[in-house]
Amino acid sequence: MRTILITFTIAAATALAIQWSAPITAIGQQRGATPAAPPAAAAPAAPAEPAPKMADGRPDLSGVWWTGGDVGGRGYRGGQLVTFNSLYKPEVTEAAKKLSDRNDPTLKCVPTALGTLNVHMFDVGAVGQIVATPKFVVMLTETFHGYRIIPTDGRKHREEVPPSYRGDAVGHWEGDVFVVETKNFTDDTWMSAEGRVSPHSDELRLVERYRRVDKNTLEIEATVYDPKVLTGPWTVPKKSLVLAPFDQIMPLICSGVETQALMDAAATQPAK
Amino acid sequence: MPQKVLAALMIALVSLSIAVPAWAHHSFAAAYDTSKTFEVKGTINRVRLTNPHSWFFLDVKDAAGKVTEWAFEAGTPSGMIRNGYKASEMKSGTPVTIQGRPAKDPTAKVGMLVTLTTGEGKVYKMFGPEENAAR
Repeated sequence: MRTILITFTIAAATALAIQWSAPITAIGQQRGATPAAPPAAAAPAAPAEPAPKMADGRPDLSGVWWTGGDVGGRGYRGGQLVTFNSLYKPEVTEAAKKLSDRNDPTLKCVPTALGTLNVHMFDVGAVGQIVATPKFVVMLTETFHGYRIIPTDGRKHREEVPPSYRGDAVGHWEGDVFVVETKNFTDDTWMSAEGRVSPHSDELRLVERYRRVDKNTLEIEATVYDPKVLTGPWTVPKKSLVLAPFDQIMPLICSGVETQALMDAAATQPAK
Repeated sequence: MPQKVLAALMIALVSLSIAVPAWAHHSFAAAYDTSKTFEVKGTINRVRLTNPHSWFFLDVKDAAGKVTEWAFEAGTPSGMIRNGYKASEMKSGTPVTIQGRPAKDPTAKVGMLVTLTTGEGKVYKMFGPEENAAR
C-alpha cells in the first residue's frame, strides 16, 4: 500500500510539475524589457492623445503609472534591470560581501532610496500615483504608503529636516520636463530591493527628469550621484511608464516583522 | 488508507529544474528550496494581505487528528487583488490544497505558494488567479 501511495504521489506531483512549467516558461518569455511588437497585419494605432495641461500650461503629470501591469500579472514589463554594481568603490564592494538578500531592508518594511525597478516614484512594487497641484507635485507609492511632496515654486531644500529613507525633494520645470532633485537620505537602507545588495551613503543625490510624452506615456530618466560609495555618477536607463486603467492606488499595510520572522524560520541559517 | 493519508497531509517532493521567476523576489531563494515542490491539504485559518508579501495560514490535520499550522508566502497584495484575488472567496475554514516550495529548514511549517486550489477547483497562483493571463 505504501508503494502505491508513493507511486501515486510522485506521479501526481510530476504531472503538476509539467503543468506548472508551461506558464512559468511563458512568464519568462513575456518579461521582455520592451513591449512585444504588434502583429504585422495590425491596423495602425490611432495617434496618441496629447498630454493634459495644468492651468499654467505645464504638462499635468497626474495619474496612476505602472509598467503596464502588476508584478506577476498581465502586461507587466519589469524587464531585466540594469544595475550599477560595477560603479561601487572596492571597499564598498568588499563590505557588501557581508550582506545578502536576507538583509533586504524591505523585508522589515524599510523603504528603498531609488526603487525596485529603478523608478523612484514606485519604491518597492510597480505602481505609483502622481497628484499635481499648482504648488506641489505629490508622488505616492503603494507598497509602503510612501509619499514625496515636491515643491515647484522655486524654493530650496529644507535645512532643518532629518535625513530620511526617501530624501527631501525639490522640483522645477525645464520646458515640458519636470526635473526633481532629491537629497538628505539616510545611509541605512538600500538603493533598491528584491534582494539586490545595494547600499548607499548619506551623500546620495538623485536627479530625475519626468516627461509626459502623451496622455498615456510618462518617461523617466535619472542620474544617481553618491561620491562616498560610487566611483562616478550612474545614469539610470530611461523608463517608460503607461497610464494605469484605474485612478487610485490601494491602501495596504506593511507587516515586515511577520514576513521576516517566517522567512527566517524557513531558512536553515539564522539571519545575519 | 491512502485516501486518509492524502486527506491529512501529503508531501510529494519532486526535483524540478525550474528557476524561481525573477519577479518572485526578495529572499525566496534564501528561504525556500526552489528546486522542489510539495503539497498540503488543509483549511484556511487566516489570510494576511500585507506588504511586502501576503501569507496564507492553513490548519492541516494529520491522520491522528492533530492540527498543525502551516504558513505559505504569496505575492504582493495589490497585485494579487488586481489580478483577481477576492478575499470573500478565502474565508476561514475554506478547504484548500496548496502546492508550494518547501522551506530550506525541513522542520519549518513554512512554504512558498505556487498554487492554491479551492474545494470548487478554483486555482490561485502566487500573484492571484489571473497571474500572467494572456494580454
